[in-house]
Formats: sequence, C-alpha cells, structure tokens
Amino acid sequence: MELQRLDVFQVIADPSRRHMLQLLSKDSLTINSLAENFDMSRPAVSKHIKVLYNAGFISIQDIGRERHCILKQDGFKQLQEWLAYYDNFWGSKLQKLEALLNERSNKQ
Amino acid sequence: MAKIIKHQLFFPHPPAVVWEYLTNAELITLWLMKNDFLPVLGHEFQFRINPMPQFNFDGIVHCKVLAIEPCRALSYSWNWGPGNGELTESEVNWTLTEKDNGTELDLVHRGFKGVGFMPMVDAMDTGWLQNMHKILKALNATTDGTAKA
Repeated sequence: MELQRLDVFQVIADPSRRHMLQLLSKDSLTINSLAENFDMSRPAVSKHIKVLYNAGFISIQDIGRERHCILKQDGFKQLQEWLAYYDNFWGSKLQKLEALLNERSNKQ
Repeated sequence: MAKIIKHQLFFPHPPAVVWEYLTNAELITLWLMKNDFLPVLGHEFQFRINPMPQFNFDGIVHCKVLAIEPCRALSYSWNWGPGNGELTESEVNWTLTEKDNGTELDLVHRGFKGVGFMPMVDAMDTGWLQNMHKILKALNATTDGTAKA
C-alpha cells in the first residue's frame, strides 16, 4: 500500500503533517479538534493521520466515543538515529583512514 | 543538517601516498567500504555494506568517476536507495593540497537530491529540526518517570 511505503523523511516533508505534529506536541487532540485547524476535507485529514500513525509519530486511543491522537517517540527517534548516522558517517570513516596512515608512518 | 558535508584533514604524508588510499580499491576497503573502484574517468563502481532497511538503504552505493586528476582531485557520484530503483543522488569530491610537508585532504559531499534526502533537507530548512529536538525533549521528559529513554 502506498501509505506504508513513506519513510520518516517523506512523512515530515509534508507541511500539514508537520503542523499536526506541532499541534499535538502541545496537547493530545481528538481527530475532530485536530481537523478544525486545517482547511481540508475530513478524509484528507484522516489520511495524514494514518501516515503519521504508520510511521510511529502518533498513537491513536479511543477515549469514550472520541478518537484521540497522541504523540509517540518512535518516529522521532528513527529520524534522530538516521541524522546521527549520517552526520557521523564520514567522520568515523576518515578517522579510520587517519589511523591507517599513522600506522604506515610508524612502520617506516 | 547541512546540504553540504565538509571535512578537512591533514596527513604528514605526501599527496601520492594519500592518493593511493583514495584510489586503490583494496586500500579503500580498509577504511571505507568494499568496492570495485578503478581510477578511470567514467568508471562505474559500487560500495557495499550491510543493508540498513531502517534507513531505507539496501547497502549498495552506486558510483561513477566524474573527474580525476592524479594526486590532486577526485570526484564520484554517490547514489543510494532502498533497492527498488529509487535513488537519492549526491556527489563526493576529494581535493589534495600539498602543504607543510604533508597533505591537506578536503572532502565535500553535496548535491543531494532525490526521494530519500530532499524531503528531509527541505523540511529541515524550515527550522523543523529544532522543533523536532524540542518535541523529542518534551517526550523524553514525560516518559522519564516510567521508562529509561
């Protein structure tokens, strides 16, 4: 399914979804009250919520007759992990190169 | 998160020695990744490491030598993806400068475009990264009482 294939970056690339996460970072909201903040159809809001849910950015809880969206760490953690890996990649590789060349000069 | 990644190192070795480590496939493997690099303009090669599905990466970096000037400069494309044909593109540039009885090595990794990276870069440009850190901090604070982060 198309929705399942979005990675964390594609998820947060959408301004509406980022706005949803920002709203939810202040307080958990029902799907209805979240939708009030957006000038889009209810199915469109639901689709974004499903994307956020699938990527682990939110959980959905039924409280009474309402469905509540609550922020969840998983998506954010994956994002942070990826950034850390990427930032580190060349630094750690170049350290290895440095060590190799140092070894070489010690032998000579 | 910058759109350009830069590193600069100094080695107390002549450029010819550093060059060897950038252009000899066996030596490259020692510090970077398994590869079939050849110092030939237009040569297409791959770097291979373990797949990292969590990062949408199948473990193969697809490369092509774009410019080569012995002991001075080397550029190759650096494209990767989840293995379904979708690639994030970028370019790696190495520059060697003889200096103080050694070699200054500059690495520039830039030109990121494509499915995996661009949305992130665009998103980060709007200050989203800062927001993300704030949100993560807040989330950590709320769960600290119940679970170790």
